[in-house]
Amino acid sequence: MKHLKLLISLIVLASVLLAACGGGAAPAPATEAPAAPATEAPAAEAPAGPVSGGIVVIGSPQEPGTLNPALASASIEDAISSFIIEGLVMVDDQGKYAPVLAESLPEVSEDGLVVTYKLKKDVKFSNGEPFTCADVKFTLDAILSDLSQASTSGYADIDSLECPDDYTAVATFSQVYAPYLRLFSYIIPKSAGDLASMDTWEFNRMPIGTGPWMLKEWKAGDSLTLVKNPYYREPGKPYLDSLIIRILPSRETGMQLLGTGEIQVLWDLVEADFPALEAMKDKGVTYGAAVTGENELLVFNLADPTVDAPEDPAAAPHPILSDLRVRQALQMAIDKQLIVDTLLSGNVRVGTSVLPTGEFACPQEPSKYDPEAAKKLLDEAGWVPGKDGIREKDGKRLSLKITSTAGNQIREQTEQVLADMFKQIGVELVIENVPSDVLFAGWDSNGLRKHGNFDILLYTTGPGIDPDSHLFGNYHSARIPTAANKGAGNNYSRYINADVDGWIDDASYITDVNARRELYCKVAEQINKDIPRVYLYERLLISGYRENLQNFKVSPGPSDFAWGSQDWWLKP
Amino acid sequence: MTSYLLRRLAQALLTLLVISMIIFGLISAVPGGIMSAYSENTDMTPEDFARLQAKFGLDQPVPVRYLKWLGNMLQGDWGNSFVSKRPALQEIADRLPNTILLMGSMLIVTLLIAIPLGVFSALKQYSLFDHILTTLALAGQSLPTFWFGLILIIIFSATLKGADGGPLLPGSGMTTPGMPFNLLDLIRHMILPVAMLALISAAGYMRYMRSSMLEVLPKDYVRTARGKGLSERTVLFRHALRNALIPIVTLLGLELPYLFGGALFTETIFAWPGIGRLFFDAAMKTDYPVLMAVLMIFSALIIFSNLLVDVVYTIIDPRITLS
Repeated sequence: MKHLKLLISLIVLASVLLAACGGGAAPAPATEAPAAPATEAPAAEAPAGPVSGGIVVIGSPQEPGTLNPALASASIEDAISSFIIEGLVMVDDQGKYAPVLAESLPEVSEDGLVVTYKLKKDVKFSNGEPFTCADVKFTLDAILSDLSQASTSGYADIDSLECPDDYTAVATFSQVYAPYLRLFSYIIPKSAGDLASMDTWEFNRMPIGTGPWMLKEWKAGDSLTLVKNPYYREPGKPYLDSLIIRILPSRETGMQLLGTGEIQVLWDLVEADFPALEAMKDKGVTYGAAVTGENELLVFNLADPTVDAPEDPAAAPHPILSDLRVRQALQMAIDKQLIVDTLLSGNVRVGTSVLPTGEFACPQEPSKYDPEAAKKLLDEAGWVPGKDGIREKDGKRLSLKITSTAGNQIREQTEQVLADMFKQIGVELVIENVPSDVLFAGWDSNGLRKHGNFDILLYTTGPGIDPDSHLFGNYHSARIPTAANKGAGNNYSRYINADVDGWIDDASYITDVNARRELYCKVAEQINKDIPRVYLYERLLISGYRENLQNFKVSPGPSDFAWGSQDWWLKP
Repeated sequence: MTSYLLRRLAQALLTLLVISMIIFGLISAVPGGIMSAYSENTDMTPEDFARLQAKFGLDQPVPVRYLKWLGNMLQGDWGNSFVSKRPALQEIADRLPNTILLMGSMLIVTLLIAIPLGVFSALKQYSLFDHILTTLALAGQSLPTFWFGLILIIIFSATLKGADGGPLLPGSGMTTPGMPFNLLDLIRHMILPVAMLALISAAGYMRYMRSSMLEVLPKDYVRTARGKGLSERTVLFRHALRNALIPIVTLLGLELPYLFGGALFTETIFAWPGIGRLFFDAAMKTDYPVLMAVLMIFSALIIFSNLLVDVVYTIIDPRITLS
């Protein structure tokens, strides 16, 4: 009897398992091969011209959570939604603003307060509905709604958005918003749903857009399948039949699959992958890169790290770094070119300026590598070599702590090289890294950046396409994180320069690009004189791809590798 | 029996409550969180930050947040994922079949390997075969999954080529993207992860099976069965093996929650879209509604499977009584 019971329990167990397995196989939907909507192939095609058809598989180590740009928080979400959703003005692969759903870049009134968009006619969303000014209005409402997770900079300044006709949108601002071109980089159709329930829109996982592609299927954790938008405005495009975004476990797996040709595109590579990319050249692998305008940089803390979030570093100066001569000496001790050549295979440019690229580029002379002059400056500042070669002043050692994101190979190597370079001039650099969540933690989580509890930080930041908010956020004295402002702002150096404040403020009230660039250049020059930060090298946005994929581009804007995908085709 | 069960159930619920507090506290204590995704975005105004914090409920103190979560959870609302905005339970439901498929296949393969080998090893105790098996089992148990998985991928997916020039076995995902679903394709994708998990866990089960069998073989009832003149096969399979399986059933019962929890390393290495990987991704983004849901369901399953094992024990072995 006992054995019978055991047998029964085993059988029950086995059938539970079997049922579970059966249940596992069933929900995987039987997908038919992506059926391309019938599109007439370009009639007479030169033999070398684009070939229609084919599937491109894109590998991504991250999965998007939502494709609704107003809810997106990760760059992969912006990039993938750009296959489907277009904006009035978007950033092209040169880092310039390009009209997409607008006929041309918007016109701005004399006083800078009225911005007029002329919309393209006969554009349809993938559900067949026409695109009109009402959708622009709806997008603005969506961005400003309670559930929105989008930045409202600029949008919040729009007093009214008028639609004199279906193809004209007139935005009237309450105050000049200098980076107005960055607005409306995506359009959410008014059919997306009710704003009060944005979180539960079907649109979030099955977006509707005017772009070349539409989403056919999203297998959570596995893949997203995109097929041609039958209503796409450019005849014969996209050339490819289908795009598949495959969620990969890691970048390493992705590199391997790129090498074997199982995927044609791999998103989100970093400079550390250059050697592996070079090694796969003979396997037909190449890469696309865009200069993002971001620098890998050192942030010096000008205030006393033992004081919690001081408002004014003059009242609580950093015992070492508050002295300009020390900061100058540290910059002179760094051989940036050596770091680029040895750690980055020479594939990036040395950092020179807070504004290295784009419409507002203001590249400066590279800082001079001169350890002898650095030593002299430290001597002048009263730091003299002690017994072990490390300088001292009033019994205090010239020892600084550098903090970066733990586990990042290039950063860890950079820190070691820096420690070595600093040692040459008698400065000790102690490496003390933390996980990136700790480094980038906010005010409430006791973030060390926010509370000013560091000597030197090493990470990447920089202006996107328009420097307005970056310069204000990172270098304006109003943006020093303090208890009073609950840690708002990114001016972690606690850098205060009244001229810089003034130029940044002035530039934010004019829309003329040349006049703004002039002011920003003054800022960039002054920053290089005051050295709150040291720009080590310029960062790149890199995607690997297979050589037979034609017209693959990378944009430094939010669309990233998705830019121009309607022109992709596969060389047979 | 009933009062025993009620008492155990009450204990289990209390334990779950304490567990939920601990997990919630730990997750809230982790620095960073969903808001740090916006930390470098200077276009986010302070008003934007305030709006987002309110949306995620992060503007309130941890105890208040916990009580709110608990209240909603008791009403069946486990909250929405911060990342996908979908209900946390929906996220889990999407991936659960994949995890059960992987872990269920793994368990079946494990038992198919471990039980015969364990029995055989016990019968031929101290033979060459036994020594080789026990050594291999020890080695198998000591293999780190992440290392073993990568080695399998390097050998079978990167180095060895199949007839079509592609990799011999796919090293990631559940299906070939862009292909219509077919069972053979799914099985090909399952081979590597299932083989890896099964080999490692079979090593453990085999050792249990062996020692359990060794314990049973010299027992009186086995001798009696032999004395009755039963055939050796009947003695072994009807009398010895069934008794030796009792501890294995315990182990299996305790293993059941893992059918749900999935294998974090395996799913991450082989890009298997299951619960383990969902948990990993949610942990990376501090997506606490999803983290809480996965951890709480997992904890509940562990507690109740323990309870189940205790109850089943009394059924299959009358010498054990409750209370």
